[in-house]
Amino acid sequence: MDLTFPLSFWDISLLLAITAIILLVTSELLSPYYGKTSLKINKKRLRNAAMTTSILFLTTVAIRITTIILNP
Amino acid sequence: MLRVNLDNKRKARLTLQRTVGLAMLLLGLITLLLAIVYSSSIPAFIGLGLTFWGIILLYIQTEEYTKNTILDATATSLLTTLNQTIQELDYKGKAVYLPPKYLNDPEATKAYIPRLRTGKLPPPEQTQKLEAQASPRNAQGMLLTPPGAELTRLFEKTLGTTFTQMNLDDLQQTLPKLLIEDLELATDLEIQQTSSTVSKPVDPTITQVEIKHDKIHVQITSSAYADTCKTAQQLPTIHANIGCPLTSAIACAIAKTTGKPTILDTQQTSEDGQTTETDYRILEEEPAWT
Repeated sequence: MDLTFPLSFWDISLLLAITAIILLVTSELLSPYYGKTSLKINKKRLRNAAMTTSILFLTTVAIRITTIILNP
Repeated sequence: MLRVNLDNKRKARLTLQRTVGLAMLLLGLITLLLAIVYSSSIPAFIGLGLTFWGIILLYIQTEEYTKNTILDATATSLLTTLNQTIQELDYKGKAVYLPPKYLNDPEATKAYIPRLRTGKLPPPEQTQKLEAQASPRNAQGMLLTPPGAELTRLFEKTLGTTFTQMNLDDLQQTLPKLLIEDLELATDLEIQQTSSTVSKPVDPTITQVEIKHDKIHVQITSSAYADTCKTAQQLPTIHANIGCPLTSAIACAIAKTTGKPTILDTQQTSEDGQTTETDYRILEEEPAWT
């Protein structure tokens, strides 16, 4: 049986990008600066999750750029 | 009994949230495993998505909140009691928020109320003696714990520092972030340092004008204590004197930061009660205020 992961590095990068956008937009819209001060959600953790996903996506982009530069 | 019921409901809600998170995570991992076994990309996408959102649901928890109406109901009755007590004891002076050097315990926050309207603030030694008494009041004035004392302590705990280690610029920088972002007590907060002029006649023809940076203007928008502050307008010893919990906490913070006695000069609340503008005055060591 051939056990290979069916998604490429770029597929995961795309998934990370979509998740990051959703989380970043949600985090921004739920910010207390827009008057949303009564939502029962830990906004700090939401922001941390959004930032982590964004950093992961940007890391995949950095890896891709490095690959292009090193192997033109 | 009610407390037990509320705790059980909260636990049930948390358990539901955790169960959904765990179910999504497990389902995601199983789908990912199947995707690897069958080399199919669609279950792989579904599996990755479920795993991500499962982790996020487990990580992002709900926070404990109390309804604003409950906050107002409890705070207003306490302020009314404080107002009645001060009126019955017949202390008519303007409340002065004391910096740590006026107290035995530097972490404590107290306000001094003189008996007379024209009463002056005694030197630090006398307030320290007064604080050590079982009943901290005498013929000249009384010491009391202001309504915002514990809130100031919470501010310091959240910031991880004390206001005594800050200066006014630091306070201007940190307080809006603390109240809006960290504690979500208001949607906007502006702190401005303003100046006042004092005219002193040097001789009959010359008057010396001195500019003092002794006033701080604070504008709070959509505060969690908006209704409490609006109700406190009817209480003469609270409104523009001791202040409602949030204005009182800011006065405590200013007194601690500047190291000088501070009073609430004026306080205005908009008609809808959403905006509160307060002027604080930092007093000189031997105030000549009336």
